[in-house]
Amino acid sequence: MTAKQQMMWRAVPEAMYDFTILPERLSEMLNVAGVLFMVALAAFLYIVMVILINVLKLKNKIDRKNDDFLLCDIAYFYEKGRRDEQEDSILISPMSDYLDHGVAVAVSDGMGGLAYGEVISRYVTDRLRELHPIDFDDNVKNAEIIRRISDEVYENYHLGSGATLVMVQIKDNFMNFYSVGDSNIILIRGGRATVLNPKQNYIFLLIRKMAEGGMSTHDAYINNRARALVDFIGNVNCRVLHTDSPIRLYEDDIILVCSDGVTDTVSASKLCKQVSSQYSAASSAQRLKLAIKSKKNPKQDNYTGVLIRMERSFL
Amino acid sequence: MIEYYAFKHRGDAATYDDALHMCIIPTTTMVLYYGSHQNENYKRDSEMLTDIFASDYVQSDFSVLCQVLEATITKDAEYMLLRISDSEIISVRCGDIGAKIVMGGEMRSLPNGRFGLHTGDRIVCGTGKFFEKLTDEAILCDALVSEDCSEWMNLMVRRISDVNELRCGNLTAVNFIVRGQTD
Repeated sequence: MTAKQQMMWRAVPEAMYDFTILPERLSEMLNVAGVLFMVALAAFLYIVMVILINVLKLKNKIDRKNDDFLLCDIAYFYEKGRRDEQEDSILISPMSDYLDHGVAVAVSDGMGGLAYGEVISRYVTDRLRELHPIDFDDNVKNAEIIRRISDEVYENYHLGSGATLVMVQIKDNFMNFYSVGDSNIILIRGGRATVLNPKQNYIFLLIRKMAEGGMSTHDAYINNRARALVDFIGNVNCRVLHTDSPIRLYEDDIILVCSDGVTDTVSASKLCKQVSSQYSAASSAQRLKLAIKSKKNPKQDNYTGVLIRMERSFL
Repeated sequence: MIEYYAFKHRGDAATYDDALHMCIIPTTTMVLYYGSHQNENYKRDSEMLTDIFASDYVQSDFSVLCQVLEATITKDAEYMLLRISDSEIISVRCGDIGAKIVMGGEMRSLPNGRFGLHTGDRIVCGTGKFFEKLTDEAILCDALVSEDCSEWMNLMVRRISDVNELRCGNLTAVNFIVRGQTD
C-alpha cells in the first residue's frame, strides 16, 4: 500500500461520521426527518393520552351506578297486518348516545277507524325524534312535552283523529316509561310477562266503580264500550302516565314496547313462549312476528314491536 | 304525613270475614286480620280487635300493643299489626299476609320489625288472596305511575279483576305513601 492509499483509507472512515462534509441537501433532509419524528412522537403520545383518559372516563361512567353495567340489545318488527295503511310508527334513539343519554324507544299507534292515523303516529315519533336527547331524569318535563305534542295534534284535528303512545327510556340500568292510550309496555322477567303501563280505556272506570260498590266486575268486561279510549294523543290536555321514579332493570330482562296489534293476537301471558332471554333480541322478535303471522287473524291490526334485551357488558 | 287508602271487598263469598282497623291519631296504627282464611274464631277475634282499637291500648307502646293482641286473639290467627310515621314503620306479621315496600325503583318485602322510611316510599299490605294474582313488577309499576294511594289501589284491583273479575273470596288491602313533613 502506498502512502497516498494509506492516507485515503484513514480519511474515509473519519469522513463518514463528519456531518459537516455531508451534502447540504442531505443535512436539511435529516433535520426535517428529525422534526417530523418529534412531531409524530408528540402526536402518538397525545393520542395515547386521549385514549387513556376516555377509557378512564368510560370506566368511571360504568362504575358510577353499578358494577353490572347492562347494555341494550334491540330489535324490532313492523308489519301492516290486514289493514290498508300502516298506522304504527316507531322511534329508536341512536345507540351511539347510549352512554350519555341512554336509549329511548317509542311506539305510536294511529287510532283505527279514524282518518289520518298514520300521519299522527308519524308526527308523534318525528316530534320526539326532534327532541332527542330527552333528559332521562326530568320525567315530569318529558310528560309535559308529550302533553304538548298531544295539544298540537288537537289543534290540527280537533278530536277527529288521534294516536296512542308508549315510550321507554333506559339509562344506567334504570327505566322510565310514558304511556298515553292502550299500547303496551311489557316486562318479561324470570319467564313471566307483566304489562307495566295501565291502559287508559273505559273499562278501568267501570271496574273502579263496580269494585268500590262491592260488586263483581263481570259486567265491565262485556260492556260494548269497554275498550274505548278515555285518553289519547290528540286529546286536549291529555294525561301522560309516567313513572315517578325509574324502575331498576336486571340482566336478562326483556322489555317489549308494542302496539295492541301484537297483544290482541298473542296475549301477554303467552309471550314467553316466543320471547326469552335465551335468544337474542332479533331472534325473539323474529319468533314473535312469526307467531303472530301463523295465527292468520283475519282482522289482524297493524302490529309493531320493539324488543329490548338487557345484557351484561363485557367492557 | 302518611296518606293511605283501604280496600275491602267481599268477592264471591257470602260474607266479609276479614277485618281492618285503623287509628290515625297520634300515629297511624293498623291491624289487618285475615278472617276469611281462618277458622271459626274469626268473629270473636274481629270483635276483640274492634275493642282494642276503640280503647287506649292502641296508643300505647308498640310492644305493649303486640302483647295485648297476642294475649287476646286466637293463637293461630293471621294478622298484621303496624305503626307508621314519616320516618319509620314497625310491623308484626303472622300468617299469609303480604307487605311490600317500593323504594328506589325496586320493590321488596317489608320485614317484620322496625324499618326506616323516607319521603316517597310506598307500602302495600294485604291478605294472601289479594297478592295471589299480582306480580311484584305490576305492583311496582302501579305504585310508580299513580299519583295517590287510591289510584294505586285501583290499578292493582284492576289487575286482579282482569284475572278473576273479583270472584275470589274476600279481598282486603291497605296502602300507604309517605308524604313527608308538611307545613
